[in-house]
Amino acid sequence: MQHLFNMFSVGLLTAILLAAPGRISAGDKYQAKINCDLHAGACTQFLSENAVTLEVTPRPVKAMQDLAFKVTLKGKLPPDTKLPYIDLGMPGMNMGPNRVQLKSAGSAAYEGRGVIVRCPSGRRIWQAAVTIPDVGQIDFIFDVIY
Amino acid sequence: MLSTETLFLLYLSTGFTVGFGHCIGMCGPIVVTFSLNLKEKNILVPQLLYHLGRTITYAILGGVVAAAGSFSMVAANIESFQKGVMIFTGALIMLMGLAMAGWLPHWNVFGDHSKAGAWISKSFGKLLKAKSTLIYFPLGLLLGLLPCGPVYTALLGTARTGMDAASIFQGVLTGMGLMAAFGIGTVPALFLVAKLADLDWLKSRAIIYKVGAVLMMIVGILFVVKGIRY
Repeated sequence: MQHLFNMFSVGLLTAILLAAPGRISAGDKYQAKINCDLHAGACTQFLSENAVTLEVTPRPVKAMQDLAFKVTLKGKLPPDTKLPYIDLGMPGMNMGPNRVQLKSAGSAAYEGRGVIVRCPSGRRIWQAAVTIPDVGQIDFIFDVIY
Repeated sequence: MLSTETLFLLYLSTGFTVGFGHCIGMCGPIVVTFSLNLKEKNILVPQLLYHLGRTITYAILGGVVAAAGSFSMVAANIESFQKGVMIFTGALIMLMGLAMAGWLPHWNVFGDHSKAGAWISKSFGKLLKAKSTLIYFPLGLLLGLLPCGPVYTALLGTARTGMDAASIFQGVLTGMGLMAAFGIGTVPALFLVAKLADLDWLKSRAIIYKVGAVLMMIVGILFVVKGIRY
């Protein structure tokens, strides 16, 4: 039993020490998942029968600065749709909860402010998960400038 | 709007989950280095002092960000200092690895040709030989400033709390408390990793010890490189 525990400990420690360089210097394997160029302008994706457009300003989109997020919805939304919100995160890395609360800004448009933080690993692929309550969630995966 | 008690619980649980999901990979090598460096000594008090120092730094940052009501403003001001801390940490891990492997005789790290060189060598030597328990507290204070995504995210929340507080003083206190809760939440994961590296069986195997030392050197170099490029 003790032997098994020792082997397990060595295995786990080795994994941590070996994984660290990978996490610190990760070449971004999520590059292929990018589905949006927010530096160029607004991005539109489809959720059920709704077009969800996300725009982030100022452009280009940089980490560690105050950003304005705007979500515009078009389609067959329920009449009493609650306010959408955005969860910012990094694919494959737990960065803690970072939610941008949106407020109504006219017809089917919602705005809020937030910050995309910088990861010392150097990874620059971020994800904005736009949730429309009772409808669903759509992910915008994009590159951020550090 | 969440109650203060709920916020504290949220920060504590976020620290806990981020600890296992993020800190083990990014900061695990640091606590492993300390554990191995302590060799036959009990790691409990040094590790707790390190985490206490780290948590106090988080709390101070939380207070400052809450008072400023802006995360990005504070972050911009401490960025270059954080870069320095990252390079320092990498150098420390690297040198501890060299010392563990026995490849760093007499702590002559920078050569003693000048008074400054002698002073730096002596200082690093003291750090590398940090078998004294108390040194881990200031190390924790300093390394709490390491650039870290989840810490930034937690600070974003404290900036909002600061803006919503009835007074600056209340905002500062809440911000400090929240970040302290976050820091405490990260301790179990990092302590578990440190404890794994503290097994007598492991430390008594010279070959494993040397392999660990080499891996530490690699991690240290990567920290330095990342710090320079940060």
